[in-house]
Amino acid sequence: MTSPEWERRPWLAAYGKDIEARLPEPRYASLAEMAHTACTRYADRTAFTCVVPNGMNGSLTYAQVNEMSDAFAAFLRIDCDLDPGDRVAVQLPNTLPYPVVALGVLKAGCVLVNTNPLYTRSEMRHQFTDAEVKVLVIVDIFANKLADVIPDSGIERVVLAGVPEFFPRVPEFIVRTVQKVWTRALPPIPDLPIPVTRIRAALAAGRAHKADAQQWWQGLERRNLALLQYTGGTTGVAKGAMLSHGAMLANIDQVLAMGRAYMDRETCVLTALPLYHIFAFTANFLAFFDIGARNVMIPSPRPVQNLQRAIENYPITWITGVNTLFNALTNEEWFTAHPPRHLVAAIAGGTALHAAVARRWQEVTGKPVAEGYGLTECAPVVSFNPMGAESRPGSIGVPVPGTDIALVDDDDAPVDPGQPGELIVKGPQNMDGYWRRPEDTDSTLRNGWVYTGDVAVMDEEGYLHIVDRKKDLVLVSGFNVYPNEIEDALAKLDAVLEAAVVGIPDEKTGEAVRAYVVPNPDHAGDPLTRDAVIKHCRTLLASYKVPRSVIIRDELPKSPIGKILRKDLKAEVRREFETA
Amino acid sequence: MITPLETTLLGIMMMVIMLGMGASMTWRDFMLAFRKPRGIIVGLTSQFLVMPALGFALAMALGLPPAMAVGLILIACMPGGTTSNIFAYFSKGVLALSIMMTTASTMVAVVMVPILLTFYSGLAGIGAEFVIPAGNVAQVLVVLLVPTALGMVLRKVNPNIGATVELIGSLMGVVVILFLIVTWVPRNYQMLLDTGAPFYVATIGIGLAGMLFGYWFARTLRQDPNRARTISLETGIQNGPLAVLVITLSFTGEMQQDVLFIPVLYSLFIVLSSTLVTIWYRRNATREELARDAAKVRN
Repeated sequence: MTSPEWERRPWLAAYGKDIEARLPEPRYASLAEMAHTACTRYADRTAFTCVVPNGMNGSLTYAQVNEMSDAFAAFLRIDCDLDPGDRVAVQLPNTLPYPVVALGVLKAGCVLVNTNPLYTRSEMRHQFTDAEVKVLVIVDIFANKLADVIPDSGIERVVLAGVPEFFPRVPEFIVRTVQKVWTRALPPIPDLPIPVTRIRAALAAGRAHKADAQQWWQGLERRNLALLQYTGGTTGVAKGAMLSHGAMLANIDQVLAMGRAYMDRETCVLTALPLYHIFAFTANFLAFFDIGARNVMIPSPRPVQNLQRAIENYPITWITGVNTLFNALTNEEWFTAHPPRHLVAAIAGGTALHAAVARRWQEVTGKPVAEGYGLTECAPVVSFNPMGAESRPGSIGVPVPGTDIALVDDDDAPVDPGQPGELIVKGPQNMDGYWRRPEDTDSTLRNGWVYTGDVAVMDEEGYLHIVDRKKDLVLVSGFNVYPNEIEDALAKLDAVLEAAVVGIPDEKTGEAVRAYVVPNPDHAGDPLTRDAVIKHCRTLLASYKVPRSVIIRDELPKSPIGKILRKDLKAEVRREFETA
Repeated sequence: MITPLETTLLGIMMMVIMLGMGASMTWRDFMLAFRKPRGIIVGLTSQFLVMPALGFALAMALGLPPAMAVGLILIACMPGGTTSNIFAYFSKGVLALSIMMTTASTMVAVVMVPILLTFYSGLAGIGAEFVIPAGNVAQVLVVLLVPTALGMVLRKVNPNIGATVELIGSLMGVVVILFLIVTWVPRNYQMLLDTGAPFYVATIGIGLAGMLFGYWFARTLRQDPNRARTISLETGIQNGPLAVLVITLSFTGEMQQDVLFIPVLYSLFIVLSSTLVTIWYRRNATREELARDAAKVRN
């Protein structure tokens, strides 16, 4: 598979003194054991604080999380009569019940199926039947979807949790009253053919058994399945990536290996990305839990103003985000006037971080954004920029310890150094395959390598640069145009807030570049025009890369974590040219 | 006649409202508002230059007797009312701007209201017996700024308590108007029936004229429609209960009752007219949102 060039592992030199090239010996047999150990060791510390937009908040200590997740495990195993390995779907925003329920599922020896709360009814039905979910924990503001989802889904019990759940009594009452009366966010619970329990009642039932949760997780091994993490909505139906306890624990160690030198007891991480997403799940939730940090959770990060009170009121030292979040924050006056004082590091993943955004972030906060890269199939972290090193804009860093990578061409042959090729990954964090989809597994997981579908180049020092998604390439007169490069150029124009680039059919050149741009509302100069965009691009890009078509929009389609969805724009283009 | 007990109650309620207003913001919000002061300056201008002039002009044009004229001018000179924040919220306006305008105008009022009152009372040729002592107004305002500061401290110390106090404060804004209606209207219903149209024109007109002007002025100075609607509500909605409090501290007996007439009627009608305007604004805001969405689909 790999050629000698790749076996040389040129990136090891970039680790410097902060990063151990060898992963530590496995410390735990399961995530449940990791959680139990952390909760015992850091018992009195605050583990989670959930902050709603008006500043009201609630917190749980490590000891509380331990006791409550034990109770939830007992509820699942005894009251719901689940067996080890049974799937439990968790459809919660970043709220205090999330860690309690997620760790409860893992301690019960069951498999966690993270589910986006914003999913439509049909997406929910697909995921729940595909995973054969037995118990669903869902946030009460979306309970109205249940009537269409539950019948014939095989789900045997529903647990409801609220956004202000486990807040002090008065704030909980106020937030709930506001939801009920003011914003009308609380729908009535539909009549269902199965039992529906509120989370507090579920915990009370679990506690009543006075059972020792250890009995359910003691036998777990690293090879056992921990998560079914659904992904790949871009190509047809979502598939469940099977992530074992071992893969998750390895990725925690890999994240900590990269960042440990910059984390201490005072670490306080801002979690604005949703925890049901694998990036926040591994990095924000598990890795920081392992070291006893405090996690400040934002239930709904949009509008970005919702983060204001959290950033003002807590000594945030770490922020994880995606390009869109960093872009939005640096466009907020309250943020630029008072950037978080205690900030140690900001890390970006999920989607390419634009150079202009990274630069503005550093100007505003005085700290660089370290960009990383990962995918659900790798639990997810594959590479990161070493924090101590000089920041390299545009690079996704070097492979994390214990990870091998190679860049290959369409014939699976390793490309020459400096040439673009598909990034393939081998490491202890790799998934075991897609749940009950052998063909998909075979096409993505070959000889222990995960084929990422991303085209990358590696420089001499081992730093990786993602060129683009293999399937997002625009082919203009036979030249490869990578949308990221054009988007980066567009983001440099002050009048542009954000941009996305896709290909459109073109009679002469086969495909041509189309740019969707959103004007920056705070830009004081001339309004954004098509001509200004094209003129700007001419100064930065070769002529075949300059957009042929420019469309000015107020907003771009985005995923729940704020990734710009090129696939939606492509679908739009398809419709447009089919009808034309 | 409002009894001393009622005056005390009114004072306490005002303090709770101001405590809530203070708790709704942080020192940083406050500093921020003054970094980009255009909206606030626009608001303060319409609040303290235009509104008092409007009040004076209306009083003159309608030929109001001195007691009523004082009431109208006083209402016109008042800083923004805290209920404006609730209306700003419901009209999908810019809540932060509304809160900042209310706070800023309350602070500026300490200096401006006594000056404006003296100026316009003199201009209107109002007899000495009807003149509100400037010191009274300043005193009341300073007293009210103390709970505002306290509210800010509360928010800083404990965000949960702060946000709770904020909520109680805005509910109190509604309670205080109900309180005024309940304590004043039954005793004066005969007077309400006997009152001629000019008085109603004055009480309802001052609020509506303020809103109209605020919107036009803000749009002229290139504020976006959302901010303009917020400034409009902020300009039209004055702190009626504060005017009532000042009057009860300055006058007694029959005279108090007469001067109170317009401020109390104003407090009553402004709730009704702001509700209607808010519904209309909200509809506009929604339509603009939908238009933006549609623009996205059609490109």
